[in-house]
Amino acid sequence: MTGQLLRHHEPVMGTVVSFELHLDGESELTRLAARGAIAAGAAELHRLEAIFTTFVDSSPMSRYRRGELALDDCPEELPVVLEWCRRAEVATGGWFDPWALPGGIDPTGLVKGWAIEQALGVMVARGVDTALVNGGGDVATVGSPADSGRWRVGIQHPWRRGRLAAVADLPAGSAIATSGRYERGDHLVNPFANDASEEPVAVASATVVARSLTVADALATALAVGGTAAVAASAWPACEWYLIGEDGSEVASDRFPFAAPTAERAAS
Amino acid sequence: MTRRTRAPLVGGAAVTGLVGVLAAHALGGSSATVGLAPATSGAAPASGASPTSSGATTSTSSPAASSTTSPPATTGTGSSTTTTTPAASGARSATGALEQYGYGEIEVRVTTEGGKITDVTVVELRTAESFSANLAAEALPTLRNEVLADQSAHISTVSGATYTSDAYASSVQAALDSLGIA
Repeated sequence: MTGQLLRHHEPVMGTVVSFELHLDGESELTRLAARGAIAAGAAELHRLEAIFTTFVDSSPMSRYRRGELALDDCPEELPVVLEWCRRAEVATGGWFDPWALPGGIDPTGLVKGWAIEQALGVMVARGVDTALVNGGGDVATVGSPADSGRWRVGIQHPWRRGRLAAVADLPAGSAIATSGRYERGDHLVNPFANDASEEPVAVASATVVARSLTVADALATALAVGGTAAVAASAWPACEWYLIGEDGSEVASDRFPFAAPTAERAAS
Repeated sequence: MTRRTRAPLVGGAAVTGLVGVLAAHALGGSSATVGLAPATSGAAPASGASPTSSGATTSTSSPAASSTTSPPATTGTGSSTTTTTPAASGARSATGALEQYGYGEIEVRVTTEGGKITDVTVVELRTAESFSANLAAEALPTLRNEVLADQSAHISTVSGATYTSDAYASSVQAALDSLGIA
């Protein structure tokens, strides 16, 4: 029983989204149908991008932000995402703040994760049961590889280009998101920056593993800004987290699924 | 919470596989085969090398043993010659002809001065997906070798802060996507 692996990458949402789809001998999904599922997932990403992009003045999100479009006249996905933003703001104690930047509500900190989850849902509806979608570093999965039962996901090193900081072993259906200052532009705004009682935090990278990529994306955004203070404020259960400080220090939740070292590395 | 104190973070070895391969060919040669260690050469570290020595393993992946570093079996023979162009400063540049290396084509220019390689530039990279990228010469083999040689060799993907489409081109993720293997 030989497994097949289909890979595809799609430039969209200002980044490149990678698809990895597993077909094993027992899968009823044909290779052709699998390709169709990937195409449908990619098309869904483009469709959602057209709705939510704030880089295009005429997108529904842009028009809504300017007060030109009533919520009732927006595509139905828009209020769904806004509700996610409100929920995330509450669940992170305000460390995820979609109102932190001027211009109206900005879902950037979670809409990519949400869109990837939606795209994966489109693929699942077409019969996909083992796949991974990585949208510029935000990863959603369904099922898991037949041999190991876990997805091995590298975590990008925040300042060593091309290097990994760690490897995570994700169980089936998990999601992982990483947020950090090293992403393009320094758009991470600390909503508590003016509060003298808050110590400045120096988080280089924050990674979250959760069941939902929307949650992981929002929480990673919050932790990248607020560090351990944001961890303490988070009300989302069953999320594992891993922070890398700008001084190279690391701290993680007890059950963050770091991959066990292999035999070669055990001695190092 | 768990506070980990290990240092350094994964991937401390400097890997210069490409330069190592080219060094054997470009120095003093008017013609040389410019090739890249195939992806399967990453299997070598599995023989027990720790990550810090995997860099050395990669750079000694038999460039001296053969004049041709053969690309993966599925590709063409990748014949190539280099032309050397003396530069005014006394440096010599050799441009390897386009070389098949499994899933794309790469052309590199090696500049030597006084017998030492002073510059390696990727002149052209064409992948099967036809996205053109301007990669730092060290990035491509370093990325591939890092990914393949480290214990994380079998990762499916990389979670990181969002990269632009341009940054993707030189990312570990792109290297993984190009490999097309599980």
